[in-house]
Amino acid sequence: MTEVTDWVDPTATTVHVPGPNNSTLADLLERILDKGVVIAGDIKVDLLDIELLTIRLRLFIASVDTAKRAGIDWWETDPAMSSRAARDALAEENETLRERLAALERRLDGEGGHDTGTPTRSDTGTPAHTQTQTQTQTNPYTESPTR
Amino acid sequence: MSSSDTGTVTYLFALCASRPPREALSAVPGHPGGGPLRTLEAGEVVLVVQDVPAGDFQEQALTERLDRSEELERCALAHHRGVAAAASHGPVVPLPLATVYLSDDNAVAAVTAREETVLAALKRLAGRTEWAVKVHASVREAPAPPSPPPPSPAPSSSGSAEQPATAGAGGGRSYLSRASARRRVLRDRQERARALALTVDRALRAYAVDAASHRPQSEQLTGVKAPQLLNAAYLVDDARRAEFVGALEQLRADERLRAVEISWSGPWVPYSFARPEQPAATAGAGAGAP
Repeated sequence: MTEVTDWVDPTATTVHVPGPNNSTLADLLERILDKGVVIAGDIKVDLLDIELLTIRLRLFIASVDTAKRAGIDWWETDPAMSSRAARDALAEENETLRERLAALERRLDGEGGHDTGTPTRSDTGTPAHTQTQTQTQTNPYTESPTR
Repeated sequence: MSSSDTGTVTYLFALCASRPPREALSAVPGHPGGGPLRTLEAGEVVLVVQDVPAGDFQEQALTERLDRSEELERCALAHHRGVAAAASHGPVVPLPLATVYLSDDNAVAAVTAREETVLAALKRLAGRTEWAVKVHASVREAPAPPSPPPPSPAPSSSGSAEQPATAGAGGGRSYLSRASARRRVLRDRQERARALALTVDRALRAYAVDAASHRPQSEQLTGVKAPQLLNAAYLVDDARRAEFVGALEQLRADERLRAVEISWSGPWVPYSFARPEQPAATAGAGAGAP
C-alpha cells in the first residue's frame, strides 16, 4: 500500500474540498452520513444501547435537514424516505378528488332537479371545500418528510 | 479511558485489520476538544478511537451542532481525516459519522460481537479503493432547443379582427404542437444521455469488483447547469487502478459520448462498500438501492 498517502490531503486544512481532488463536501457527506442499516447501528442494536440508537436516529434527522439546506435531496427520490410523504400526498390527493367529485355530483343534482333550488353552486363554498383547496397547495416536501 | 465520570465518550472512526502506525494517528487532531487518536482491540480487529467530550456528543448537542452546516462540515472533515489516518497502512471498515459509545468496553463489546462480519469486510476491502464517478448531460450540447418555426402568418387582410376566436385557437394549437415537439426533443435527448450514462457505468463495472450508486446530486449542489445522470462508486482492485483510470480517460475522450460529461475523484476510503451483507448494489440511473 503506497498510494494510501493520498488519503491525507495536506492542503485539506485550508481547502473546502475534503476528499480526494475534485470531490466536494456533498460527496463526503453522502458517504459518511447514516442513511440506513449500517454496521454501527447494528452494533448498537445488538448492545441494546437504546441511548445511542436514539442519538443516531436524531442525528440522521438533523443531517437530513442540514443536507436539505445544502441542496442534497436524495431522500426525495429515496423510496424508503419518501414513501410516507408520497403516501400522505396520495391520500391528500384522493381526498381532494373525492371532494371535487362530490361537489360535481351535487352540482349535477342541483341542475337536474331545479325544483329543489338548493344553493349548491354557491361560490362561497363549504368549509370543507376551502380546506381541500388549501391542502392541495401544500407541497409535501416543504415540510420535513422525516418527521 | 472513556467514562461518563470523566465527561468523555468513545468515538469510533474505523476498524482495521492491524494497528496503524502511531505517527499516522498522531498526525490528525480528530474532533476538537478530544484526546489523541488511539487504538483498542476487539479480538483480531483494531478500533481507531478518540475520547471526545461527552457534552458535544449528547443527543441534544449533536443534533444542534450537526444542524449547522459549518459545524457539520467541520465534524465531517474531522471524521474523514480520522478514517483516512486509520487507512494509512491497510484496509479499514470506515464507520458512519458520529459513531459514539459510552465507554471503551461498550465499543469493544460491540465490535467483538460482530468480529466475523468485520473481518470478512476487511478482507473484502483489502487492496481495494473506491472511485467516485459522475456523469452529467453535456453542457455544451444541452442548449439549442429547436428554433421555433416562424409564427403562422397572421391574416394580413385588414379584416383580421373579424375572427379573433379562430385565430386564437389556431395560434394555441400551433403553440401546443411546438411545445410538445420541444418536449419530445428534450426527452429524447435526456433518454439518449441516460443511455450513455449507463454505457459508461457498464464499461466501468468491467474493471471493478463492486459498484454502488448514490443519489444523483441536484444542479444546485453541483453548480453544473445540467442534470446529473450517474453518481456511482466503484470498488477497484489497486492492481487494476491504472486500467480503471485509463478506461475513464478513454471514455471521456470517446466521440460517441460527447453528449455527456464524465468526472471522477479518487481514491476514496471505500465508504460506499463498507456495509456488510449489502445486497448487490445497482449503480445506474434511477435504480435505487432498497
